[in-house]
Amino acid sequence: MRAFVTVGSTRFDDLVQRALSDAVLDTLRTRGYSTVVVQCGNSDFDAGIYTQHGESWTRELEGGGAVEVWRFKASLDEEYKQADLVISHAGSGTILDVLRLQKPLIVVPNSTLLDDHQQELATALAGLGHVRAATVPNLPQTITALDPSTLVPFPKFDGSRFREILDEEMGFAVPT
Amino acid sequence: MSYGLPLALLLAAAALARLYAVLPRATPRRRTAPPRTGTCALAVFLGSGGHTSEALALLAGLDFARYTPRTYVLSSGDALSAKKAIALEAAKASPAGSSRKSPYALVTIPRARRVHQPLLTTPFSSAVSLAACAYHVALAPLLTGRPFADVLLVNGPGTCVMLCLAVYLNRFLGLPSPKLIYVESFARVKRLSLSGKILKPFVDRFLVQWPDLAQGDSRLQYKGCLV
Repeated sequence: MRAFVTVGSTRFDDLVQRALSDAVLDTLRTRGYSTVVVQCGNSDFDAGIYTQHGESWTRELEGGGAVEVWRFKASLDEEYKQADLVISHAGSGTILDVLRLQKPLIVVPNSTLLDDHQQELATALAGLGHVRAATVPNLPQTITALDPSTLVPFPKFDGSRFREILDEEMGFAVPT
Repeated sequence: MSYGLPLALLLAAAALARLYAVLPRATPRRRTAPPRTGTCALAVFLGSGGHTSEALALLAGLDFARYTPRTYVLSSGDALSAKKAIALEAAKASPAGSSRKSPYALVTIPRARRVHQPLLTTPFSSAVSLAACAYHVALAPLLTGRPFADVLLVNGPGTCVMLCLAVYLNRFLGLPSPKLIYVESFARVKRLSLSGKILKPFVDRFLVQWPDLAQGDSRLQYKGCLV
């Protein structure tokens, strides 16, 4: 199986370095995620042990499995679709994109951000059972404890809600 | 010289009275008029990144035959939002049968404040931004005879405050002005964003996407997740 780690357009050194640590990679492999792809954005990571191919860095893992790291791609949709598990920063855009594809998601709020509303979003969604919320240190434990079948599916996009609000506001006939 | 102060006070009082007169009412008046049959011109501010994604998701559910023409207001240099708006228009254009093109336009305004811009120069860039907004909201409609929009949809960040300020300039002067609808981001669970806090008293409708946010504030409405 395939795990995808993403920080979007942000910089989140702690999450990227943790995701590439032996603790997390071993845990992922134990859980059956032998391919790990990391979109690291502007984050720093130690590229020393990786082989660079164009815009990506790769590494074979001892005991099987492979890691691939790259910074940006125009669209992450393909990566989300291919992934069996997504681990991401708690940006609302990323969260919505992943949940709409009904992919298991672990969110890790970036506690170094000044305006800490990411933590509130992660807590609220975890409270509803749509995601699991982790911290950088306890990411391996969260991966181990995750049973994707227990996650609550996120409701599908419902464009009629806002349409009805705006139609009513602007005086259009609204079906009753 | 002795008239200066009283005159200034009188003018300030008159301006405040006018501002109070154009502020939204606390309790919305119920509409008794027959349903609207024509079209409604819609403007939407695309604030880049997650703001743009959410704003376009809101538009995705609308009947574009009703909301036409559409004006997408972008911050300068935000090519990605322009691309996403054009993609939405292409997706919404009826695929077969209809040859009628639904018109839309993209307009660009300078940012009120760029990321990492020093605070000291922010008033100047904000003034430039406001002037551009006032041009699109007040001056261009006067010159062309085509109103800016019947409704303006905003969801942050900062530059949209300038746009709303321009709308208020119109209201202040008695010029046609769009209804203002603010939809707080799905990312805001317990506290409003800064733009939201600033604009809350001024917009005609303020929607939030988490129930806790609307608790105890009658100006905020929660109708579920909208994006």
